[in-house]
Amino acid sequence: MLFFRSEDRVRDWCAVHGYPMRPLVRIGQLWTLATTWYGTRLQENSRRPKPDEMRGIFAGIGLSGDFWDPRVDTFG
Amino acid sequence: MEFDVQVKMAVYGHFATTGQRPSIADVASRTGSDEQTVTAAFARLRAQRVLLLEADDISIRMAPPFSGVPTQHRVEAGGRQYFGNCAWDALGVLAALHEPGTVHSRCEQSGEPLRLAVGLEGPEPSDWLFHCLVPAAKWWADLVFT
Repeated sequence: MLFFRSEDRVRDWCAVHGYPMRPLVRIGQLWTLATTWYGTRLQENSRRPKPDEMRGIFAGIGLSGDFWDPRVDTFG
Repeated sequence: MEFDVQVKMAVYGHFATTGQRPSIADVASRTGSDEQTVTAAFARLRAQRVLLLEADDISIRMAPPFSGVPTQHRVEAGGRQYFGNCAWDALGVLAALHEPGTVHSRCEQSGEPLRLAVGLEGPEPSDWLFHCLVPAAKWWADLVFT
């Protein structure tokens, strides 16, 4: 889970390493994920989102499809 | 409070106030327990995916979003320094702390440095991107690589 300066830099990096290019996430979307996952992490009753919740969180910021589904294990 | 929750709170409290991972002795002291009892709690918290431990079973590699070891994702907040496990966790450190701060990282391809100011309402406008290579279903198969 890495930062890149641009889409071209992601494409270059994937090509160099022979990795598939995955969906790109903007910084604003990443902040939503960070606050959703970790906003209560220092509290007693904090917990990780469950798989169904994760799907909903991703979909809520426009990240949909099997890549973001923790129950779909079809990617190499 | 259940003992494992006490241990979790002690671990996270130590990270939040120092930026560093606690030792078993630190957690034992904070919970009024002993190292053997805390080691057993660490194993249960690892099974629950609350902690990721080193091979010695007692050193904390990750208490997400905090990293127990230095990484390329450094966070400054409240006069302290933290490390995130990944780009997501770098922002996650500030989300967990509920403090403004600055994320220092880099473009993985070009090495260009990233300096991202983050307020309580979120990061400053930025056209940098986040790329996750591993699909969600496999994140915990190798969390360090993920």
